[in-house]
Amino acid sequence: MQAAVSAIEYYLPTKAISTADLSAEFPEWPAEKIDEKTGIRERHIAAPGECASDMAVAAAHKLFESGKYRPDQIDYLLLCTQSPDYFLPSTACLVQDRLGIPTHTGAMDFNLGCSGFVYGLGLAQGLISSGQAATILLITAETYSKFLNPRDRSVRTIFGDAAAATVLSADPSPTPLIGPFVYGTDGRGGPNLIVPAGGMRLQRSSETAVAVRDDGGNVRSQDDLYMNGAEIFNFTLDVVPQTVKSLLEKAGLTAGDVDLFVFHQANRFMLDHLRKRLHIAAEKFPVTMSHCGNTVSSTIPIALHHAAAEGKLGPGALVMLVGFGVGYSWGATLLRWSGLR
Amino acid sequence: MSREEFLLQLDEVLELPAGSLHGPEKLEELEQWDSSAVIGFIALADDHNGVSISPRKIADCVTVDDLLRLAQVPGASE
Repeated sequence: MQAAVSAIEYYLPTKAISTADLSAEFPEWPAEKIDEKTGIRERHIAAPGECASDMAVAAAHKLFESGKYRPDQIDYLLLCTQSPDYFLPSTACLVQDRLGIPTHTGAMDFNLGCSGFVYGLGLAQGLISSGQAATILLITAETYSKFLNPRDRSVRTIFGDAAAATVLSADPSPTPLIGPFVYGTDGRGGPNLIVPAGGMRLQRSSETAVAVRDDGGNVRSQDDLYMNGAEIFNFTLDVVPQTVKSLLEKAGLTAGDVDLFVFHQANRFMLDHLRKRLHIAAEKFPVTMSHCGNTVSSTIPIALHHAAAEGKLGPGALVMLVGFGVGYSWGATLLRWSGLR
Repeated sequence: MSREEFLLQLDEVLELPAGSLHGPEKLEELEQWDSSAVIGFIALADDHNGVSISPRKIADCVTVDDLLRLAQVPGASE
């Protein structure tokens, strides 16, 4: 049996912060400049009491309410998040209970960001092809907004909260519908996208809460998310083109064989640059982030959902997915589209 | 890309009128030289000849000419 993507739904929190809102709050950030650099019109922000599990449940409910699947059909739950409800228990366990998924189901969290959806597909393909599961609910859910300092322009303009729920089901296809996979990790990049305090390495304290203004005028403490945009961009240029090349070589294909390239939707400037560097036509390279921002591990499933809804994915279409970012972690795979239920 | 073309593109990255930059300008005196401009410069160097430039090396640059040398632009002043 092979894993096939058969349903994707997603949830955005109700509160939306527009570029105009940010500009009104901070007049030194002109709305036109934010829009030009990021391509983001709105970022949805989880409510004060709204956590990853709440958004995960909301995304899954949308999927179940569509009638495509029922909770009792799920036999494995994978939850990708870097903002779990608790250190323990796993947020996946809480989501299993709230969704009414049977207790004979496996469930686990895995902690990845921008590469998370691709890794989730790899895990799902392994579970299904080895006969361990037949209908997997893969959820990506992130509340990065809760890590952001309100006065840090470098990240407030970019990140939005969201959850996406994807079902991967067993398909009797004689050949894989997802794969091959190319993975990569470089922990030297860890300090370039990090929340320094709050984990076991450095627990939160009055010292870690002290906010400091950086050279760019952004304010943050060690309790807040820090992103070195220039280092991340450099990493992207070093890694992504090579990853695309490696994946095509592994698959014995050329870029011309790929119908759609769905990259992690980090920001429009980076995506435009990568697209041109890789000589990919604009119509094969969706940029679907203006309404939600960088939602970390949900950007790829959200883009896939919209590509399918807009008729860009016919049966048998070959889609390349590339996730890259925090870690540093990256992964890429090819998806033979079999259509959503 | 020639030195002149690179400088014109760098003017655009810094949102300066075309022909503003010539080389000797000190980066710390350019108000537009911010984190966004650093990313724009990295992209420009990548477009120019695929040169990968570490942001730490960019931080060591004092003048626009230093940036051009880093980007391996032909004719960059010594």
